[in-house]
Amino acid sequence: MPSFKEIKEGLFSYEEVDSGYVVRVKDAHDLLEAAKKVRDAGINRFDTFAPFPIHGMSEAMGLKRSWLPFITLIGGITGFTANISYIGYITLIDWPIIYGGKGFFNFPSMFPLFFEIMILFASLSTVGGFMALSGMGSINRKPPISEATSDGFAIWIGDTIPESEVKKILGSLAMEIRSVN
Amino acid sequence: MSLDAAKNAYTIGKPYAEIDNDILSPVEGFPEKTWWTWFIISLTGLLVYLGVIGYSFVKGLGIFGINSPVSWGVYIIGLVFWLEIGHAGTMISAILYLFRQRWRTSINRAAEAMTIFAVMTAALLPLIHLGRPWMVNWLFPYPNDRGPVWNNFNSPLLWDVYAISTYFTVSLFFWYMGLLPDFAAMRDRAVIGRNQFKAKTAIGEKLLEMRVWLLKVAALGWVGSGKAWHHYEKMVMLLAALATPLVMSVQSILSFDFVTSVIPGWHSTILPINFITGSIYSGFAMVLSLVIVMRSAFNMKAYITDRHIDNLGWVMLFTGMLVFFGYFVELFMAYYSANGFEQYVWTYRFVGEYAWAFWLTMVTILLPPHIMWFKKLRNNHTLLFIMTVIINIGMWFERFVIVVTPVARDFLPSSWRLYVPTVWDVLVVLGEFAMFFTFFLLFVRVLPSIAFTEVKMDEAGDLAKGKGHH
Repeated sequence: MPSFKEIKEGLFSYEEVDSGYVVRVKDAHDLLEAAKKVRDAGINRFDTFAPFPIHGMSEAMGLKRSWLPFITLIGGITGFTANISYIGYITLIDWPIIYGGKGFFNFPSMFPLFFEIMILFASLSTVGGFMALSGMGSINRKPPISEATSDGFAIWIGDTIPESEVKKILGSLAMEIRSVN
Repeated sequence: MSLDAAKNAYTIGKPYAEIDNDILSPVEGFPEKTWWTWFIISLTGLLVYLGVIGYSFVKGLGIFGINSPVSWGVYIIGLVFWLEIGHAGTMISAILYLFRQRWRTSINRAAEAMTIFAVMTAALLPLIHLGRPWMVNWLFPYPNDRGPVWNNFNSPLLWDVYAISTYFTVSLFFWYMGLLPDFAAMRDRAVIGRNQFKAKTAIGEKLLEMRVWLLKVAALGWVGSGKAWHHYEKMVMLLAALATPLVMSVQSILSFDFVTSVIPGWHSTILPINFITGSIYSGFAMVLSLVIVMRSAFNMKAYITDRHIDNLGWVMLFTGMLVFFGYFVELFMAYYSANGFEQYVWTYRFVGEYAWAFWLTMVTILLPPHIMWFKKLRNNHTLLFIMTVIINIGMWFERFVIVVTPVARDFLPSSWRLYVPTVWDVLVVLGEFAMFFTFFLLFVRVLPSIAFTEVKMDEAGDLAKGKGHH
């Protein structure tokens, strides 16, 4: 069982770029290397910016497992049980009617309804969970480098360390260093 | 950016910025004459369609050819037809994603858009067919002051309401979430000066500002953070995993409308499977025809390669044979069951009043995909396009045969009646197509019709392989 701290880190890992340095690197491969170096140097607050998901980046950044599947599961179970309760209440308590001699609460013929609502709740909670976990919604947010959504790759180091330290960590990779603020 | 080392048939080998420019060029430019011509034709058709719907509200459903035994005319045929078209989009975006099929990347956005518009077209039809469309809210089981009057939860028609509304919602979110990084890229293009739009007047500049603002809202503040990508990839995987059983269930539930009745020809356990294979078949035919037109109209031959067209063609051949097999099993079961009513339905299909529709279906859906066996024929994209159009006409008539023939001749000879479409029925069918194409034509001009984020991701994967990493 993971500790509460681990769950919290896995849930809300997203941080705004508000301090430190933004370093632009050449390509996806260099960004992967940079992330490994920064993580190994023991930097706490950092993030990478790329126009597409890079294979192996989560491991390179040392990110905790995403808790999104768990949120999906909760959503699915909620939808399934909520719909069973709702239809059960309608057909057994509020207005019981027998249709076609099938009994009041006929589980097999109502299963498609439970299934559809389960999928609906699971999907909506997945989308909602993703938006919450990755901090979506502040529409005025700008990427640290404007090309980050097209062809630019950058790493952000949020810890308060001198610029020379940043250069030392990234070694030959660093291309452009810019301090935030 | 040399990709010689990475030998992949789908590799594009262009810088990322150029990929953006290529894919966004139809979006960031003023449409040309061909587009306007087709758009105006479709829009006129849509307006006529709305007029027909309005007239049917005023006059009643009596203007259509439907009658007492054949109460499901063009509307339910259209519902089945368009929902099945829609399902291919989900197959491409979800099932091929789970199977890690690289070739889905270039076509999944257009296929998903096709899904959304096809489901919109489909969902409108039963609502008009209600006869009292202003009571559409009665379809949903919410606490009401009508007694309360609840729905019959044992009815497959109610399952349909649940299934189609869930399917539409999930598909819409899946599509939108896929668009999210692309929206962000479009938003930032103006900042880095890559936008191909050029405003000449002050009003034009204001409009461009408004566009950027809309994109800002649509992108939800996406900046491409590694932590967000971490969750994003999980989300796409989960949604694909949820959409896969969903699409199967929607198709099965749609067939339950027929299967749970006691009409011979409908009351058959093979129908759900036949609906699923039929949906892949007609849907892929529609994707193929849209993709062939799109790639030649927008010069996207580098992204949608001959290999993509080829793959889609092979899927058509495979599912075409599955559809044939389904038909064969249904026929054999009718013979083997020794059930007179079941056998009568098939005899009626072979030689009855609707035999022309049945044989038209057989010829148009079973023969065309077999051109894939011949190299010369399958490399001819005009021929492939004609093939897909013929198949879709055939699939429409297949629905016609399924919906109309079993009830036109049911148990009592005194209640036998034919379904003869009126001019209004024909206008509804044409209107459905006009509605679909109006939305699709708008889509290719407003949103990127290829998911360029995913294209770039695959390119990066090829580069990494070429360099000897991974």
